[in-house]
Amino acid sequence: MDDPSLLALVAVRVALAFAPVPETFKYDQQLSSPLTAYSRLREGIYLFDHGVDPYSGGSFRHSPLLLSLFSTALPLTRYTSPVLWTAADVLAAWALARIWRLRTGAKYTKRDKQVIALYLFNPYILLPSLALSTSSIENSLTLLSLMFASRGRASASLFVFAILIHISLPSLLLLVPILLLSISRPVSSLTVPHPFAGDPKGALPLLGEFLGYTALLSFASTLVCGNWSWIEKTWGAFITLPDLTPNPGLWWYFFTEMFDHFRPFFLLVFTVHLLIYIAPICIKFQHDMLYAVFLLVGILAVFKPYPTLSDPGLFISMFSLFPETYPYLRHPIVTGLIHLHASLLLPLFNSLWLRQGTGNANFFYASTLVFGMGNGAALLDAVWAGLRVAIGKLDDGYEVVQE
Amino acid sequence: MLALRLILLLCLTFLAGAREEPIGSLGRQGSSHTNNWAVLVCASRYWFNYRHMANALGMYRTVKRLGIPDSNIILMLADDAACNPRNKFPGCVYANPGRNLDLYGDNIEVDYRGNEVTVENFLRVLTGRVEPSVPRSKRLLTDDRSNVFIFMTGHGGNEFLKFQDNEEISAFDIADAVAQMWEKKRYNELFFMIDTCQANTMYSKFYSPNVLATGSSVIHENSYSYENDYDIGVAVIDSYTHYVLEFMEGINKTSQTTMEDLFNTYDPVKIRSHPGVRSDLFERDLRDTLVTDFFGGVAQVEVLPPLNGSPRPRVSFDEIMSETAEFGVHQEKESGLVASVGDINWHVFLAALGEGPQSEVGRPFVRKARTWASTLAVLVMGCWVATRRK
Repeated sequence: MDDPSLLALVAVRVALAFAPVPETFKYDQQLSSPLTAYSRLREGIYLFDHGVDPYSGGSFRHSPLLLSLFSTALPLTRYTSPVLWTAADVLAAWALARIWRLRTGAKYTKRDKQVIALYLFNPYILLPSLALSTSSIENSLTLLSLMFASRGRASASLFVFAILIHISLPSLLLLVPILLLSISRPVSSLTVPHPFAGDPKGALPLLGEFLGYTALLSFASTLVCGNWSWIEKTWGAFITLPDLTPNPGLWWYFFTEMFDHFRPFFLLVFTVHLLIYIAPICIKFQHDMLYAVFLLVGILAVFKPYPTLSDPGLFISMFSLFPETYPYLRHPIVTGLIHLHASLLLPLFNSLWLRQGTGNANFFYASTLVFGMGNGAALLDAVWAGLRVAIGKLDDGYEVVQE
Repeated sequence: MLALRLILLLCLTFLAGAREEPIGSLGRQGSSHTNNWAVLVCASRYWFNYRHMANALGMYRTVKRLGIPDSNIILMLADDAACNPRNKFPGCVYANPGRNLDLYGDNIEVDYRGNEVTVENFLRVLTGRVEPSVPRSKRLLTDDRSNVFIFMTGHGGNEFLKFQDNEEISAFDIADAVAQMWEKKRYNELFFMIDTCQANTMYSKFYSPNVLATGSSVIHENSYSYENDYDIGVAVIDSYTHYVLEFMEGINKTSQTTMEDLFNTYDPVKIRSHPGVRSDLFERDLRDTLVTDFFGGVAQVEVLPPLNGSPRPRVSFDEIMSETAEFGVHQEKESGLVASVGDINWHVFLAALGEGPQSEVGRPFVRKARTWASTLAVLVMGCWVATRRK
């Protein structure tokens, strides 16, 4: 980490943080969702400082932990906010590099810098961070938790994960693989599938520890608020989808048209749909739990209730951890082009719909569908490559089919 | 005797001097209205009275352009010109021979059309004595701070105006209706403009205060149309209204042009009749009365200083300043009005915000303590976890 080129990368990132960013970034709907927007965070802190319960209105949906942190230890001003967000990004990049090193087993590799650069300068991650969306903090916590789990430090991993759950509930998908990762090894064994290396029963006390941390943090949150209303407003928002502000996800448009009669049913369907991926992926990739986490991050990127660009950004940046799959990706160029296409269409159609008024919501919805297709294509390719790499090089005349 | 005359002279000059300062509050003898309404009446029907329709629609467009919203405009037309079978340009009404601007368009709201344009409806609209079933869009919902602009056009004569080839309204009727409006406090100032033959006789009977009136021609004199359009086949606008609208094209919302300027542009040679002005009932000086006081819906904005103790908002203040420049800000400097509003009571604001859980977070010290306790609890947990191995 003392490598001057790494410091140069960090310096460029810091300089970018203080570059003049248009004010519209903070309100852009691709870069922040109603649950992560900086303006809402500032509003909640302001109301809280003036004695008004920020959860009594409908606009503030951040966790009380963030509320307490940013109104006491880390005040958000024009100068401290970019520094904080840059620090979160640098921390996440460092954690990613450490995961990479733990995976390869080497103390130092040639590709460290590329891994860090791929995280720091990935536009899907850079732009929401410049827009000061708290999804960057979510990414940092996810990668930190993964890093601790890769090192085998289950307590630290679960504590950080508990904080992440308080900020973003859908990340609960990652609980099972992180538990199993902390009791197995992150070293790459995609090429040699084997039954799960560790003892699954060892995960149960860890689960209890995680629940304990979550409960303690819930009490800390209640201490800040004075009542339990934050649960309904923060965690409840992911389940009941009260705010239908457009975002690059797939939920909002569906639920704008949903009749109230069917709303609870479809909310249940969408939520349970997220949960059904955990077991199959963990079973199929039990030999390499880090890959299972990676795939579930991809699932979150596509199907999360309130995503921003950071979520697929994390998925794409984590691709750098698995170079053994690159030769077996079937359509990387198509996926890349769909992503390019979608990333140009999303802001364009958003502007056409909401600023110029020459388009309507269907334009933006179509671009979110294309974006979802891009993420889905990347995910499917990753699943295929992760399984295909176990078969290795083929003799002539043989081909791989899926049963 | 001489002393008595001197004293009388002194009193009169004193009173005359005192009349110079009415009770207006904003600016130099500025207007004290807060909202603007317009009643635009075209009292003719049939194709050959196309120009009266164009008069009213031209005035409607001007008044909308200067900021009076549709909800504050009562437009009464026979509305039989645009879709008339004789109209070579269906759905369009033009006010100039070159047909440059379509006044009918797709965004006009006619409140009383066709057979609803009657003397009775007009008087009911003015006095507010309407049936309960009449919708809000057809009511003149003015209050005592409203400036009302009434424009009438059609065929008229000595103290009468013909409505829809069917009935007449007399100058006495209008004067009585306006007097009722004054009694019921339905206007702050009223501006009456009329473009018909012998129009000035129609305003000769007003007797309520704060009425300014103007018309297109004197008694025994006709008002003429401006020009024919040879494709439409009829005259498209009246001369007086044409020159008034031409003057108004140079006005925008921030304009400081006065009614004196408008009346000074009256040229009897060009208009081919003698327009008149009646201002004896109008209290303010015409040099101080802006055209937008009647024709426009200009909002008077007061920019309040920021609240005590809260940071001045940066970007929004600039936006406010650039927006208020459009609306013609009359900023207060010495008036007592702002000084009393400048110090808003924070506690009143908070109390208005609501009740309930606010009381628990209300006390600042307790709140701070709880927040710090929560943050420190999380930090302590983090340190404890860091010391654990595995």
